[in-house]
Amino acid sequence: MTESRNIVLDVQDLVKRYGAITAVDGVSFSVRAREIFGILGPNGAGKTTTLECIETLRPVDAGTILLNGLNVRTQSQEVKRIIGVQLQSSSFFDKLSLAELLVLFGEMYGRSVDPLALLDEVELRDKSRAQVVQLSGGQKQRFSIAAALVNDPVVIFLDEPTTGLDPQARRHLWGVIKRIRSEGKTIVITTHYMDEAEELCDRVAIMDAGKIIAMAPPQEMITTLLAGGFRKEKVERLASLEDVFLSLTGHTIRDE
Amino acid sequence: MLTLASMKMFMRQREAILWTLLFPLLVVILFGFVRFNGVGSIGLGVVNEAGATGADLLARIKSVRTFEVTEGTRESEMGELAKGERDLVLLIPAEYAPATSAEMTAYGDLEAKPQVTQLGGLVLQRVLDESAFAGAPGLRRTALSTLPFKSRNLTYMDFLLPGILSMSIMQMGIFGVAFGFVSLKKRGILRRLWVTPIRPNDFIIAQVAMRLLVLLLQMTIMVGVGILFLNLHFIGNIALIYLMGILGAVVFLGFGFSLAGISKSEDQVAPLANIITLPMLALSGIFFSRSNLPGFVRSITSVLPLTYLADGLRSVAIDGATLAQVTPQILGLVLWGVVSCALAVRLFRWE
Repeated sequence: MTESRNIVLDVQDLVKRYGAITAVDGVSFSVRAREIFGILGPNGAGKTTTLECIETLRPVDAGTILLNGLNVRTQSQEVKRIIGVQLQSSSFFDKLSLAELLVLFGEMYGRSVDPLALLDEVELRDKSRAQVVQLSGGQKQRFSIAAALVNDPVVIFLDEPTTGLDPQARRHLWGVIKRIRSEGKTIVITTHYMDEAEELCDRVAIMDAGKIIAMAPPQEMITTLLAGGFRKEKVERLASLEDVFLSLTGHTIRDE
Repeated sequence: MLTLASMKMFMRQREAILWTLLFPLLVVILFGFVRFNGVGSIGLGVVNEAGATGADLLARIKSVRTFEVTEGTRESEMGELAKGERDLVLLIPAEYAPATSAEMTAYGDLEAKPQVTQLGGLVLQRVLDESAFAGAPGLRRTALSTLPFKSRNLTYMDFLLPGILSMSIMQMGIFGVAFGFVSLKKRGILRRLWVTPIRPNDFIIAQVAMRLLVLLLQMTIMVGVGILFLNLHFIGNIALIYLMGILGAVVFLGFGFSLAGISKSEDQVAPLANIITLPMLALSGIFFSRSNLPGFVRSITSVLPLTYLADGLRSVAIDGATLAQVTPQILGLVLWGVVSCALAVRLFRWE
């Protein structure tokens, strides 16, 4: 199959336990090149733990993870070189400007980077001299993505990048993510916003209690559900409150 | 490069600069203005060359509460006097016989410590008189003459500055590292670093290197300001000062990393760090000489790491001690360094 050659991330029977709790319980999925793959699920479903296992941050209890053919369990150092990571609720050093931080992160990979080009990528060029503490929530997340791009990674992992952002900032971030994908990157994203997954993802896996309970393109999932005879009790109105909000407040982002 | 970046981050923290570089200097200057005028106890060195004949006199001298009596040979006691460790040294000559000797000599720095020397002389004379009349009343009085002796006239500043330097090395190692790392841990900055190819040890090395560089800078500034503006009688070997400072820093960095390892938040660090540092600040002879401590406390405190550091820096800075002369302190620091680093390796956790 030609498709299997395009697989950049292959997770098989991944298990991760914390003491008596099995946070990730036999998860398998694979992600193709240039795909935006979403991992959905309620809080505590095991999304973040799954990502952290792939990102080499947590030792795996069982299963295999291959990233671009590299075994995450035995070749973690090589894996780190080809992934870009945006962690949930992680921060950056104080007292360094955005440009200096990007240069520093580049040096960790032994690369000299052009900080302004990276900041352009996430539309933060005018903030190059600012420090992270001075950024708004949306700007912080965008900077986080810029920092994940310093090593020109093969796969980028975004862990709930839009949690806590206002509708304008979310939409803006979606634009950034789509553009990065269009430049040839593969993106794995976790979220618990269904509209986000529907908007961004080529395929999604839905996790609950440490297991993947469904995996397909979003439209296909909806079709399957409808084909099974599902009907919403209340017929969807043609506009949602979010549409009202956006039409009243506009699409321009407010955090600049 | 991580060292440089860390340095940049450090230098841009105004509070950090204030606390590490300026605060110790401020303490030194403030304490330098304080004059401790009142005569407390008088440090009296007694050189008893008369053996058993002098024993009665010695016992009488020791019973005087004003005196803090130390016995020693002529050489050692005069040496201590020269350093300013004794206020007065009394010589009981070999030919001394109670109630027959006409003269006895004491030495003191009349110029630098006129009050203490004169008062000490008077009290000694009284003791001599009592001793003479106790034996057989009406016999000859032994007259004490106090001869001037030029000590190096060390001031409290000379005592204080090396002490404060040691204190700031300890604070930087323990508070700086423990708070710094716990904050990096808590805010997820370390996790973000571990998804890059950087190795944890490289990061630690950079952090340690940065702090040692800051330390060298700080030592240079403190000694420089001391010599130029505070009349510090610095006669030591600056390289030896740096060496001891770095050894001390390694000891306290080890403790700092240990604390960072067992603490989950800044709230947990603070009390632990204080439990370790406060007793040492009080007992290691930073602000006041340990010679005022009761004997058993003094012997316990003499093995504290801060004591080794402060004593070592002090001997080098103001007594011009050589490497050989501060070997005990260096060995003490090396031992503590081994202990603290072993502890750090065991206790330090990234998560």
